[in-house]
Amino acid sequence: MLNLVEKLIIITNNPLSKEFFNDKYEVQFINGSLMDVLIKVRDLIHKGYVLLTHPLMGSVKPNQTPYKTVAISKLPKDKTDEQSVLVIENSIQTAQKLIKSKPYKKWPEEVLEDFRVIDLELIKSIF
Amino acid sequence: MRLELGNIFIKDLQFGPETKVEKGILYVNKEELLKEVSGDEKVKSIDFDIVHPGDSARIIPVKDVIEPRVKVEGKGGIFPGFISKVDTVGSGRTNVLKGAAVVTTGKIVGFQEGIIDMSGEGAKYTPFSKTHNLVITCEVNDDVKQHEHEEAIRMIGLKAAAYLGKAGKDVQPDEVKTYETLPLLEQVKKYPNLPKVVYVYMLQSQGLLHDTYVYGVDAKKIIPTFIYPTEVFDGAILSGNCVSACDKNPTYVHLNHPIIEDLYDRDGKDINFLGCVITNENVYLADKERSSNCTAKLVEFLGADAAIISEEGFGNPDADLVMNCNKIEEKGIKTVLVTDEYAGRDGASQSLADSTPKGNAVVTAGNANELVVLKAMDKVIGHPEAANIIAGGYSGSLRPDGSIEAELQVITGCTSEVGFNYLSAKGF
Repeated sequence: MLNLVEKLIIITNNPLSKEFFNDKYEVQFINGSLMDVLIKVRDLIHKGYVLLTHPLMGSVKPNQTPYKTVAISKLPKDKTDEQSVLVIENSIQTAQKLIKSKPYKKWPEEVLEDFRVIDLELIKSIF
Repeated sequence: MRLELGNIFIKDLQFGPETKVEKGILYVNKEELLKEVSGDEKVKSIDFDIVHPGDSARIIPVKDVIEPRVKVEGKGGIFPGFISKVDTVGSGRTNVLKGAAVVTTGKIVGFQEGIIDMSGEGAKYTPFSKTHNLVITCEVNDDVKQHEHEEAIRMIGLKAAAYLGKAGKDVQPDEVKTYETLPLLEQVKKYPNLPKVVYVYMLQSQGLLHDTYVYGVDAKKIIPTFIYPTEVFDGAILSGNCVSACDKNPTYVHLNHPIIEDLYDRDGKDINFLGCVITNENVYLADKERSSNCTAKLVEFLGADAAIISEEGFGNPDADLVMNCNKIEEKGIKTVLVTDEYAGRDGASQSLADSTPKGNAVVTAGNANELVVLKAMDKVIGHPEAANIIAGGYSGSLRPDGSIEAELQVITGCTSEVGFNYLSAKGF
């Protein structure tokens, strides 16, 4: 469960997450791929933001679901958080490996909706 | 805590006028079973099928597999917190219909995988091709949300297994196995010269369709705690996990936990098995820190010399596995990790999403990215349209003859991260 004093920013390419979090937290919506979200998160981590949720949450693999929502700290620290760097770099490497091994397919709209729901529900589990 | 498991070997499963076990055959009265499991307004229809090992049949997408069991002596009942009250289970006698299983199918989300083939190449990879399966297909109303859908099917499966289990209540078992764990100080004294081993039992708990329950409690809300291994044999831990077919632990696997059984086999011979520490795999990184801190503290407090740690799932749980390993090793306690791999088609890529130099003893249950060809089957039970989505989607491709080329990860239980599977490597 989320520490009540924790303030956060939501980085997402999932329209459902954007809609859900918009009036509660700062949301940075990425009009792009799952990998674009991970790279944005990595860039912010190098600026001192701390990763709060695991970027590979869920058993739905990064080459299955096109959607990803990640929470990071509201304020950057003076120093880059090493643990956050490790987790995001490992996650990017893993996602790249799986996408290279088997790229995304074109899913029907109802399946895409399921992916959006799962992504939102998993991130909601921290609150 | 001492539990006797009375195994009644089931050689066949048939529909009949009365639900009973006779001469190793489990007969099921369909109408009575339907009455037992129905009543949920969200459910539109329920169908039953029976499949046997060797049949040209495919079940897809599998949600859960459950073994019928019944409490014969001792406190509480099977599946506490759901079917029975929350008495502490794990003592007395439990009868098991060994060889029978309830398989639930449910297309809760469109991308769901989970295949059990009862014959052919696919059958070699799933332990549930060897059981006589009562398959429950249930459809829900259109307005039912995913989490309600999961809950409805989960409850139907548990009710069906509990109902079938009752048929074994007054049957003389073919074999009786006894498992016992004493309160800690007595257990330590029992084999004072043997290394003390704790099993760190990681439970999938990331959220919707990724849940596990402990005495009815959602595992994401627990802090790590001690559990007697025999409690698991009575259904204290059960699955609400629908995703990642190959390496999720169906309820059947929790009930027949191979790591716990193996540790009991060696208890008093070359180890002293102290019991289990259960912990979770949450999404929030602070939860991971808290849970791994508590786990390491508890393993140390129990006085363990070594810990076996297994994970459930891939990606996010790899981080929990590594944290548990690091923190337990830092206390001077040796660890062995159990996992599976997503190492690419050729098995040459990095297997996990996280790693640690302290993870120097690791058992793998296989590479989920390996390819397999599943032949066409005469009968497809469940939601055949799911096969088209899997075949047309990420995991495989449908061939003109109806066979499917897919990664092993679509097969239920094939790379079980507690070792309830067949993949292995042998040296010659």
